[in-house]
Amino acid sequence: MLVFMKNRLIFLILFILIGDCLFPLSINVRTFDHQNHTRLVFEGDNSFGFKINNFKNSIEIEINKIANIKNRITRIDDSKLIDRVVHSTKNNKSTLTVYFKSKFKVKRNFVLEKPFRVVFDVVKSEEPDRDLEPSENKRGKQEPKESNIKDETSKKKAIEIICIDPGHGGSDLGAVGRLKLMEKDITLKVSRKVKKIIESKLGLRVITTRDKDVEVSLDSRAAMANNQKAQVFVSIHVNSSFRGSARGPETYYVSLKATDQEAFKLAEKENSSLGEAFKTAENDDLKMILWNMAQSEYIKESSKLASFIQNELNILMHTKNRGVKQAPFRVLMRTAMPAVLIEIAFISNFYEEKSLMDDSFLDKVANAIYTGISKFIYFYNNI
Amino acid sequence: MNKKKIYFLIAIAFVFFIIVLIIFFKSSCYSGKKDLELSKEEVQEKVEQIKPVKVKMFFLQRNSRYMKPFSYEIGIFKTRQDVYKAFINELLKSREDCITPIPEGLKLRSVFYVKKRKILIVDFNEVLLNKFPVGTSSELEFIYYFVDNICYNFKEIKEVKFLVSGNEYKTISGHIDIENPFYPDYRYLRDE
Repeated sequence: MLVFMKNRLIFLILFILIGDCLFPLSINVRTFDHQNHTRLVFEGDNSFGFKINNFKNSIEIEINKIANIKNRITRIDDSKLIDRVVHSTKNNKSTLTVYFKSKFKVKRNFVLEKPFRVVFDVVKSEEPDRDLEPSENKRGKQEPKESNIKDETSKKKAIEIICIDPGHGGSDLGAVGRLKLMEKDITLKVSRKVKKIIESKLGLRVITTRDKDVEVSLDSRAAMANNQKAQVFVSIHVNSSFRGSARGPETYYVSLKATDQEAFKLAEKENSSLGEAFKTAENDDLKMILWNMAQSEYIKESSKLASFIQNELNILMHTKNRGVKQAPFRVLMRTAMPAVLIEIAFISNFYEEKSLMDDSFLDKVANAIYTGISKFIYFYNNI
Repeated sequence: MNKKKIYFLIAIAFVFFIIVLIIFFKSSCYSGKKDLELSKEEVQEKVEQIKPVKVKMFFLQRNSRYMKPFSYEIGIFKTRQDVYKAFINELLKSREDCITPIPEGLKLRSVFYVKKRKILIVDFNEVLLNKFPVGTSSELEFIYYFVDNICYNFKEIKEVKFLVSGNEYKTISGHIDIENPFYPDYRYLRDE
């Protein structure tokens, strides 16, 4: 019996060792500066066990096996908060140490799957530095710390990149009118016009999620905007209703109310404490809730952007009834920036379909959208 | 070791085994998608009073963006699930003077209520994806036609989730996220 157990144990150890050699873990480190926080992502090609040690100016992640990481020291030049990530190995374990440029606080953290990712959202700490605490404090003098820190953290980057998303495309025709006009063609035309006007009048960089008649998934559109670090996302669509009489433009921004609030709270709770939070997102529900939170930080800005654009469209089309609305749009939920979806007009309304066939009308629509966006940019850059 | 000690150890081991079993089954009841599974008793929960079920249904109007109420009696049922099924089938019927925001040929496959989460899961056939007239307003009209009517009439239901042929889909026609359940939005109901 003892011999049998011993053999089994040796076999198990060999199996683990061979497994580790055959499938070495490689980890990719990414950072991204959002408006209110910096996101730090450790992406592994396999899942891995880890332990977190939190220090004053660094976070240490102890991985339970040796990981392949390109460089021993990865400098993060374009991050506001993160200085470098250092990789070291000891006792068949890898350790990744993230050094920060200043004192930091982990705002939330979670694990995502497929691919396996350990995510930290960090902010600059507003706590006074005890080591550098001025002696005047003890004498009762007002400390200037809060205003100094706020000045630095609240400094927003002026808007430089805008993402325009022409709805539908390829085999996804979108809505089709009685005169056989297709939504995918109108959205592409208007998006091209808006891009041209913004580039020529504002000199900003405009990226589009498609520039020809191809199908792009909703999640890829949001990912494109996030990866390109767009600061404004405008999705252009044409509406259709079961009621033939429905008319007028509408501008939407995301509503989180329509999603599972309890689950949303659960996700928040999961992320609230460092010790509790590093649990694998075991089901897709939680993974998606965490994704959905991407837009939750920008609701106020998105609502403002929607009103600026809707006001311009109302003036153009003399509409009063229709306005800014909220709905859980798939494409907006996953964008990490102010994001809106515009429904230019109803293709299901015979008269509006006719207008949509007129190129000069589309020019006016593009101009109205441009004016709305430029008003938002002025507002955003000056608050 | 005497016999008494052995029996004592066996008894402790047995109790420990039972506790582990209880913990295992309890935790599996609360995990992830198990929440959405139904026990037979839940589905077959009897309606307390066997009498015609009175409901108020709201329908879309051709020249108004508000839904107008109509009162109906939808029959006598033995189980709660049958009531929900009959109610949704009633919503699927076309009506003169009103708009039914559903594609032609749409059928209800099944419906089940998850008591623990107060969610009604409504499963339609594939017509919902294949023949739906694409458009944001069409999607919203469809979704809230069902969600508002269901939640208005059955207070025990707080949210409604849609499935197509038993599967989850991201959207109906490329706009509204239907992976999550919906709370009612009564802005378009006009209770006269």
